[in-house]
Amino acid sequence: MNTALLFQSLVLGVLLGGLYALLAAGLTLYFGVMRVVMIAHSAFLILAAYIAWYFNQQTGWDPLFSLLITVPLFFGIGVGMQRLLITRLRPATLTMMSVLLTFAIALFIEGMIGFVWSGTQRRIQLPYSGDSINFLGASVAVVKLMAFALAALSLALLYLLMKKSRFGQALRATIQHKEAAQLVGIRTDRVAGLGFGLGLATAAIGGTALSLDATIYPSLHWHWIGPLMAIIVVGGLGSIPGTAIAAMVLGIGQSLLQVPLGTTWAQTLFYVALFATLMLRPQGFFGGRLAQRF
Amino acid sequence: MASEPATPGTETAGASATAAPVRPLLTLDDIQAGYGRAAMVLRGLTIEVPPGTVVCLVGPNGAGKSTVLKVASGLLKPRSGRVLVDGTDVTGREPQQMLSAGLAHVLQGHSVFREMTVGENVLLGAYTLRDKERVAERVEFVQNLFPIVGERWKQLAGLLSGGQQKQVEFARSLMVDPKVVLLDEPSMGLDPKTTATVFEQVVRMRDAGTAVLLVEQNARRALETADIGCVLDLGRVHITGPASELLADPQLSELYLGGRPGGAA
Repeated sequence: MNTALLFQSLVLGVLLGGLYALLAAGLTLYFGVMRVVMIAHSAFLILAAYIAWYFNQQTGWDPLFSLLITVPLFFGIGVGMQRLLITRLRPATLTMMSVLLTFAIALFIEGMIGFVWSGTQRRIQLPYSGDSINFLGASVAVVKLMAFALAALSLALLYLLMKKSRFGQALRATIQHKEAAQLVGIRTDRVAGLGFGLGLATAAIGGTALSLDATIYPSLHWHWIGPLMAIIVVGGLGSIPGTAIAAMVLGIGQSLLQVPLGTTWAQTLFYVALFATLMLRPQGFFGGRLAQRF
Repeated sequence: MASEPATPGTETAGASATAAPVRPLLTLDDIQAGYGRAAMVLRGLTIEVPPGTVVCLVGPNGAGKSTVLKVASGLLKPRSGRVLVDGTDVTGREPQQMLSAGLAHVLQGHSVFREMTVGENVLLGAYTLRDKERVAERVEFVQNLFPIVGERWKQLAGLLSGGQQKQVEFARSLMVDPKVVLLDEPSMGLDPKTTATVFEQVVRMRDAGTAVLLVEQNARRALETADIGCVLDLGRVHITGPASELLADPQLSELYLGGRPGGAA
């Protein structure tokens, strides 16, 4: 691999890693706050991508404007899901049963997308879809750069929300010690609902970012859930910074491996990393104490 | 303050042991409580915590000591009986409402938010307070009472020693200026020297105007600190009286305190 190609792959890997970080952030948030394994997260990503595509089709406006609809909509759905469905699960078997429940939700969303928009593959055509810019000799597609910028901005906002706001403090306290959080006056059930809503709001943003540069179809979420799950396990379940680091490492790794191995084999990196993590360090490479930090 | 002799078999603890007829800050009246479908843990328990006192609950494992505190702080709903705070019935309320009523609960073991700074931990104790001036006053108060809090303000709470973490938990609980602090086994996992420091802090809390309901495995050490002692057995108060008299009672010492007065605890 020559230096120019290596640099090109590295730049694309960073952009991909940033997007992965956002796509997986919600997934680790659900687990951190509620010990819920949210299989339907990627289905919501694809739903957001479809809404972005449909919005663009109907209005002719940039799909990014669909965020004005999808972010509050998904936030509301998330709060409703947690309050009406997740809280009905018995605490003792919550994690296991949440897999079944959210698997069913993923199937429902996939069926609904197919019913409403058919199984035809869709892709957003934008005036700038084919544009690219030159960055130190590497050619970077504008849509990839936009997706990365959206991801970076969202993660920065998430960071500020978690670190600086009263809600973020309550959410972090709930993650770290739920009973102690209740005893300082935090309504942990309400915080968990808002946390779930926040996770789904990131799915709305991630799905829209994805729609800029991906061909979408109803069952695409099955392609995504595996790598995203691998990222949060490698990063340490419940750890948002761990997720971001793992996403970046695996994104860059995948991008670098695509050149010698091709896209299909490069994808197996996620599963190799998953198995290696489970064998060598089941709590994740950035889990443990870091799992509770933001 | 505690002048009457120990009264074996008495079901009311606390106020009955004080001479002056003062209204208790916390009353648990004929409480029955348990977990799920399991058998009842508390079976008609009555306890009173008068102002300005440390009331200590001792008893064998499984007597229901921690359950008493969970009922008082709203973590566990009683199946029958009443919880009164300063005369107001607060039975069945949520922990947040119990906190507003004036009850703060410090859990067993370590319950600091480990990945937050000491400052963030203490300020979370004032989560329900909106008045910034009031919060600043309380911060100053707890920093004076527990100097370690001010000294380690910006450090991660999880990096402090066990005894220091306990003081952060005490400080956090005092941020809302509670009427009664419920302490669940504050000496758990601490070495004897640190335990002595923690009990000194309990006395300082009382002297600063907060009544304390203390649950402790280290019965002899706790009774040396407390004003009133209650021995729990099988979910109800078996014996109550001034802590010094309980400590001096040879039969009680043999049964519940692990030996004769002055012997090993």
